[in-house]
Amino acid sequence: MSDNKLKPLIKMIEVNKYFGEFQALKNINLDVHKGERIVVCGPSGSGKSTLIRCINRLEKHNKGTITIDGIELTDNVEDLDAVRREVGMVFQNFNLFPHMSIVKNLMIAQQLVRKTPKDEAREVAMHYLERVKIPEQAKKYPIQLSGGQQQRVAIARALCMKPNIILFDEPTSALDPEMINEVLDVMVDLAEEGMTMICVTHEMGFARSVADRVIFMDEGEIVEHAKPAEFFDNPKNERTKTFLKQILSH
Amino acid sequence: MEVLTGWWDDYLWGAVIVAKVFMASLSLMILFGLLGAGAKLSNNKLAQKIAGAYTVIFRGTPEILVILLLYFGSAIALTAIAKIFNPDVRFVDVPPFWAGTIAIALIVGSYATETFRGAFLAVKPGSIEAARALGMSTLQTFIYIRIPEMWRIALPPFGNNMLSLVKDTALISIIGLNETLFVAKQAITVTGKPFTMYIVVGLIYLGFSTLITLSVMGMEKYGNRTTVGAR
Amino acid sequence: MNFDLNLILESLPQMLAGFGITLKLLVVSGILGFILAVLLLLMRISGKFYLNWVAQVYIYVFRGTPILVQIFIVYYGLPQFEAVRESFLWPILREPTGCAILALTLNTGAYVSEILRGGVLGVDKGLLEAGSALGMSARQKFIYLTAPIATRLALPAYSNDVISLLKSTALASTITIADMTGIARTIVAETYAPYEIYTSLAIVYMIFTLGLQKLFGVIERYLGRYTRREE
Repeated sequence: MSDNKLKPLIKMIEVNKYFGEFQALKNINLDVHKGERIVVCGPSGSGKSTLIRCINRLEKHNKGTITIDGIELTDNVEDLDAVRREVGMVFQNFNLFPHMSIVKNLMIAQQLVRKTPKDEAREVAMHYLERVKIPEQAKKYPIQLSGGQQQRVAIARALCMKPNIILFDEPTSALDPEMINEVLDVMVDLAEEGMTMICVTHEMGFARSVADRVIFMDEGEIVEHAKPAEFFDNPKNERTKTFLKQILSH
Repeated sequence: MEVLTGWWDDYLWGAVIVAKVFMASLSLMILFGLLGAGAKLSNNKLAQKIAGAYTVIFRGTPEILVILLLYFGSAIALTAIAKIFNPDVRFVDVPPFWAGTIAIALIVGSYATETFRGAFLAVKPGSIEAARALGMSTLQTFIYIRIPEMWRIALPPFGNNMLSLVKDTALISIIGLNETLFVAKQAITVTGKPFTMYIVVGLIYLGFSTLITLSVMGMEKYGNRTTVGAR
Repeated sequence: MNFDLNLILESLPQMLAGFGITLKLLVVSGILGFILAVLLLLMRISGKFYLNWVAQVYIYVFRGTPILVQIFIVYYGLPQFEAVRESFLWPILREPTGCAILALTLNTGAYVSEILRGGVLGVDKGLLEAGSALGMSARQKFIYLTAPIATRLALPAYSNDVISLLKSTALASTITIADMTGIARTIVAETYAPYEIYTSLAIVYMIFTLGLQKLFGVIERYLGRYTRREE
């Protein structure tokens, strides 16, 4: 999949991140090419969320460089705006704006950030609501939807900004089991359309069938980095083996 | 600063009176608050109604009216009673200290009622059930589980109640209690420096507020020692 | 003692004549105090330590001293200075009403800014992260996310503060203002019937308080419409 002649869309070189004394990321090196689907897994506190939060600068890394489509992440505000327009994000707790209707949730950033006229923003919003199969909920408030529906709205909200990359931060962890599949289905659709995706998730079925590469992190380091078949059937590192045993033993 | 020479000891005595009113009204306020909360939480309809009326009345009436009513009202009542025994009595004076103390204790007590009631209801039923399941008696559960938990929850709003109380002592000067505002008034007639004299009063109250805030902070730290998570 | 109903019927209209002044004190200092509170809040969350520090000291001083002392400092204290008497503010500060509004504004501003800050701190951080991830600027996040949600969270505490402000307006009577309480005190001085006058006035204030609570209840229900699952 990764065409080495093309420049990577995301390039992380020797990235380090500290929270006070605690080192959350240790010398992370990672290239992601256009259209690639990466799954990041690992025990809690391993730095996997921090890794993707550094990519759209919700966290600032302390050392190393992160480049998104040729733009290096620094304190430069204009560069940051450009990067955030390019990178969408879906959160564990959906983070829909509770005081806005569903359709307004999808319109607000288009209007404010992209300066899209209201009517056009509404059209775009309805288009993506249909894609996640809940256009009939447009006028409701987030609290009136189920968790699975809310997460699909959150994905649609990210898509409205026409990003080139979408980051998923444990998108199914806060959901009741019966709602996980409706969200994963939307993610699989996106993957099939060629969206560049980085997913932090423990859904190993999704990783095996959709991912181009799987990354296992522990204590802030990338411990294992392989194609899914190799990762699941023939893991090299002891820590990966232990983790897989724990997570697949049920 | 020279204008203040000679007035320091008057202010000091004024501050002592503020402290005395505060201590006396604090104990009454706690009493009223506990009674009010107990009545509201009880199953007795009448007690609930009385406590409900108590909080509505004292939270909805200006403090100054309560103080005036209690001071002049009780004076008239006592005079009327005294006249029964001795028709020659013209007027019975009620000490402003006690009229004022009871008035502000009643006022802040109505807020403390909600503080205590809220804290009682905020104790998680889980820990109470757990204690009962472990075989602790109702009384043991109350003493070892509910009271410490309640205290921790009630402390921040209770600190605010105490601050209200100490600031309300200033209102008692209106009925002639010789506390710091009263001292300032006398000093102004002599020196003609109202700003200076009232600022001193403000500083004295700021001192009291700081003292209360710091002690509440200390108690909160102690009360929360079990809730600070592992790092 | 006997309760003189005729006296109440006679003096109630007189007292209600002061309702306009009470309302004016409440509304004008309520609005100005809210503006001051927003300014103080913006200073506190500006990220500039010196602005934050100034706001914190201001809030600390005005919450740590009695409102009555603040009223006296403004009304009796400020004219001590030549500069005040010659400033453009003198036309306002010469009038007791202007002084009362100024003192009430300064006081309520300090309290309300803390209430608003509580609302701002209560806004889920995740929502702001979602705003950032969508490319919204700090200003856009404040206007479209923080402000509306914080307003809803702060409203219950804010309505309590408006009621406190109403009760504080009664203190304007101590600087010769003829609000409802001021008129009542004059009547009591003439008739010496504190029970009748103060009790009936207390009921007027309570009705006013209940009205305010109803009004805020309606606003709360409107602002909270998105927090209910069922319509």
